[in-house]
Amino acid sequence: MTYTTIDHRPEEPFRPDSPGYEENFPWIKWVPLFLEVVLLAIGIFNLLSATAVEDKSMGLWKNQIVSIGLGVLATAVILIPHYSTFSRLAYAIYAGNIGLLLVVLAFGKTTLGAKRWISFGGLSLQPSELMKLSVVIFLAKYFERINVPGGFRLKDLALPTLFVLIPVAMILVQPDLGTAMIICLVYGSMLLFQKINPRTLLILATVAGFAAPIIYNTGLKPYQKQRLVSFIDPMSDPKGSGYNSIQSMIAVGSGQLSGKGYRKGTQSHLNFLPEHHTDFIFSVFSEEWGFAGCVGLLVLYVFFLSSGMSVAYQSNDKFAMLLAFGILSIFFWHIFINMGMVMGMLPIVGVPLPFMSYGGSAILTAMCGVAIILNIANKKYMF
Amino acid sequence: MAFIGNEEQTRELQDRFKYATLALILGAVILASRLAYLQIFNGEQMRQYAEENRIKKVKIPSPRGMLLDRFRRPVVDNRPAFDVIVTPQYLKESGRASEVLNRVAALLKVPVADLEKRLEKSKGQASFLPVSLKENLTRDEVAELETWKLELPGVSVEMAIQRTNLHGDVASHVLGYIGQVSPQELTKLNQGVARKYSLDDVVGKSGLEKEFEPVLRGVDGSELVEVDALGRSIQKRETSGRVLVQNREVPSIPGKNLILSLDQDLQDAAVRGFGDKTGGLIAIDPRNGEVLAMISRPSFDPTQFSRGIDNDLWQKLIADEKKPLRDKAIQDHYMPGSTFKVITAIAGLEEGVIDENTTVNCTGSINLGNRVVHCHKKEGHGPVNVVKALTKSCDVFFYRLAQKLKSVNDIAKWASHMGFGTRTGIELAREAPGLVPTEEWKQKRFGVPWGPGETLSVAIGQSFMLATTIQLANAYAALVNGGTLYRPHLLRAVESADGQILREFPPQILEKTSLQKKTVDLITQGLWGVVNDPGGTAHTQAIKGMEFAGKTGTVQVIQIRAEKIFAKCATLPYRNRHHGVFVGYAPIKNPSIVLAVVAEHACSGSMGAGPIAREVIKTYLQKYYPDLYSDSAIADRIKADQKAKNAPNSAPTPREVEE
Repeated sequence: MTYTTIDHRPEEPFRPDSPGYEENFPWIKWVPLFLEVVLLAIGIFNLLSATAVEDKSMGLWKNQIVSIGLGVLATAVILIPHYSTFSRLAYAIYAGNIGLLLVVLAFGKTTLGAKRWISFGGLSLQPSELMKLSVVIFLAKYFERINVPGGFRLKDLALPTLFVLIPVAMILVQPDLGTAMIICLVYGSMLLFQKINPRTLLILATVAGFAAPIIYNTGLKPYQKQRLVSFIDPMSDPKGSGYNSIQSMIAVGSGQLSGKGYRKGTQSHLNFLPEHHTDFIFSVFSEEWGFAGCVGLLVLYVFFLSSGMSVAYQSNDKFAMLLAFGILSIFFWHIFINMGMVMGMLPIVGVPLPFMSYGGSAILTAMCGVAIILNIANKKYMF
Repeated sequence: MAFIGNEEQTRELQDRFKYATLALILGAVILASRLAYLQIFNGEQMRQYAEENRIKKVKIPSPRGMLLDRFRRPVVDNRPAFDVIVTPQYLKESGRASEVLNRVAALLKVPVADLEKRLEKSKGQASFLPVSLKENLTRDEVAELETWKLELPGVSVEMAIQRTNLHGDVASHVLGYIGQVSPQELTKLNQGVARKYSLDDVVGKSGLEKEFEPVLRGVDGSELVEVDALGRSIQKRETSGRVLVQNREVPSIPGKNLILSLDQDLQDAAVRGFGDKTGGLIAIDPRNGEVLAMISRPSFDPTQFSRGIDNDLWQKLIADEKKPLRDKAIQDHYMPGSTFKVITAIAGLEEGVIDENTTVNCTGSINLGNRVVHCHKKEGHGPVNVVKALTKSCDVFFYRLAQKLKSVNDIAKWASHMGFGTRTGIELAREAPGLVPTEEWKQKRFGVPWGPGETLSVAIGQSFMLATTIQLANAYAALVNGGTLYRPHLLRAVESADGQILREFPPQILEKTSLQKKTVDLITQGLWGVVNDPGGTAHTQAIKGMEFAGKTGTVQVIQIRAEKIFAKCATLPYRNRHHGVFVGYAPIKNPSIVLAVVAEHACSGSMGAGPIAREVIKTYLQKYYPDLYSDSAIADRIKADQKAKNAPNSAPTPREVEE
């Protein structure tokens, strides 16, 4: 392990791969923002339909607009300083967010049997959502200083793993299996992105293989187990746990090629879909817009992630690269797991679809993530 | 320095972006494939599932036919019942479950712990399935809950149809109860039935509800309604802008009503008469076999069964030593005791071994070989003929009569003619056949020949002789109508729900025996004396100005010295006390009601069973013969009698003639 001192302030501009690229396309760095706006617009449009159902979701799209407003404010704030500020504040951000999680455990608001929210005034915040970003910032900062030629070995991973597992454990207690899992997946992605020693990788895979059944038997709540069982065989209890999965698959499939039309989704509007405005928002969209709409949405997400990757690629700064990559992997796993779950490929875990699902904390976290990427794209040549 | 930080490390990382891009593309391809699989390859089927999801065929339950008494007054009806239900999912989502439960508990004035227990019990089922918190709300409770509806998320009042026995536990054994079809009986039930039953259907489980199930059951209708995933039917949405389903409704056809021969007023009188005594009563019209009253005590309320039997209640009913679930009028047989002397008298008179002039001097006992057989009256009745013997229930007369008969088979022959030993064939299941012993029967059953002393016992309705309450009533009915044995029946007619008579049931004759007029006259004279002669065994039950006749019987449950029968009974343990039996009829001329009462362990026929019969007969006469037996008519007659008595050359009253 070698330690290097890093100066984030470049002495001169540097254009490694595409000379004249920035000059010819000055708008290119705003592509992630543009795609974010498009996706948010689709999200609100879709939510208008999903929350026209006469149940608890009725009219909630208005709240989503407020959340987006807050997200815009956060974006503006994040764009002001140089991203190196995040490097300086990384540990403080991490510690602060852990503090918020402690507050949740102590005084959190219990909804649907889970304790995930802290509320002040009329607003409630889900610190576990923000923790995803905090962990990524923490890891980017941590790994920036570390270089292990030939890949990480177990002893190199001990410390960062500990710092990842602290919030993961706190989130599992809430319980919020989805968020805890996302943090683990993001951590794994960031490690693989850098490089893990092949032997270590083999050991880790073996340990994971043995640990899975133990975790299943001891670490999961009955309803979480039930979800896994019903994922493997949804028809085992079509009215119970498998019900959501089946209804969701029916919703997606019944959209066929071109969909049933905007606000004409029967599965959602007749209340067959549970949580149709949050975790299952994609089933509302796919029911109404069909295969054509879904592929379109998928392409937008792929463009969004690619544009983010190009920002990371061109940042020429290990911290920025790891930070951007980490944020993108949050988005990637959210999209993949949420869609996979809605389409019955993955067990049901509470993971929202970025920009589409209803939920203030999720929207705020996503917009902050995009803001950091925009900051990286724009602040390369500052100072 | 061109790169920020370590150039080499950053370059290395840039290299790895190709793997990240690959992972991104792979993820997108997986998702797109799944989309194609669901939406393109299975889209058609999924669309169909979605359609079926929305439109549900909902059963419109048909009202079950009513049971009406002979005056077409409803006895069993379908009444709306209101339950308060809660959907746990909505309660949970509201976030103030305990507050709501407390509120409901306060409105219904029940402890909140009860409601929590109900909710706890439903933990296993899906949370969107409603749970009942309390059944059969009063109108006030319904109003209270509806008023605070908005403050009680997840709580609602639901209407259900409750099969209701309007008179509670009266005649439950006859009317029967209904219940949900059980999985075990489903296959049996659906054999040879055009309209199949399903598990959520109700079916008659006992009594007339069971016997006339095909008549009472209606034809369920159906309706296509739009429902949400929770199965709640929903209003057609304005926003959907199209009619999703034509409201194709198949109306239900209600079941047919049964018009019974029972008279609810007599039923109520019988229950009044019984009080808390145990036993059965049956009243028959001797002119056609119609059953006017039929009860068994103690009883149960079928209404409590109709929406699922509470297990505690069921266990209590089964464990009760007085067997409230048994119909004591037809399912239990007893030794008929002295009430059977009528049959012995018929045998003697018809076989010609005695006539009205045959007199026996009762000294209180007779010698039979080296045994002494006692009369129930130790000091004896003195010289008695058949009329007096019946009136005073003299055992010795019937012992002598038995000795004059060729064998017990003579008694058996006439007992069989009068309907003993075979089921009467009333429209109810599990009727007991009773037993008429013969010499052959005993040889076959026990392998021992008939002993001469046993004939004496049979002559006074003891030993092997067994009869049901309904057989006793029917036999006396056949006696007073001159020998016609009708099949007792409960059903007069079947009518459609709108009151059209569909079918009537004429009387059915089981056997026509020609009894000599002299036989009937002598025996009925004796039976008149039982109640109205000061020396009659049931004279205590006589009603001033209202004459009826009958015969008492006191049946020993355990062997006990004859003279101790009356003295000791009340001090015996309940299970060892004698049964009281009374069979009677009214009016004296052209009888139109015959009734038999068995009061278990009531010690005596006259004091145990007599008052019950008296109550029913009094009610009957006052209702059916108001000209003769209304209170004012009786008062007038008594006044006239008094006047006539005081006047010289007055016409003798029947009693004086008798004496």
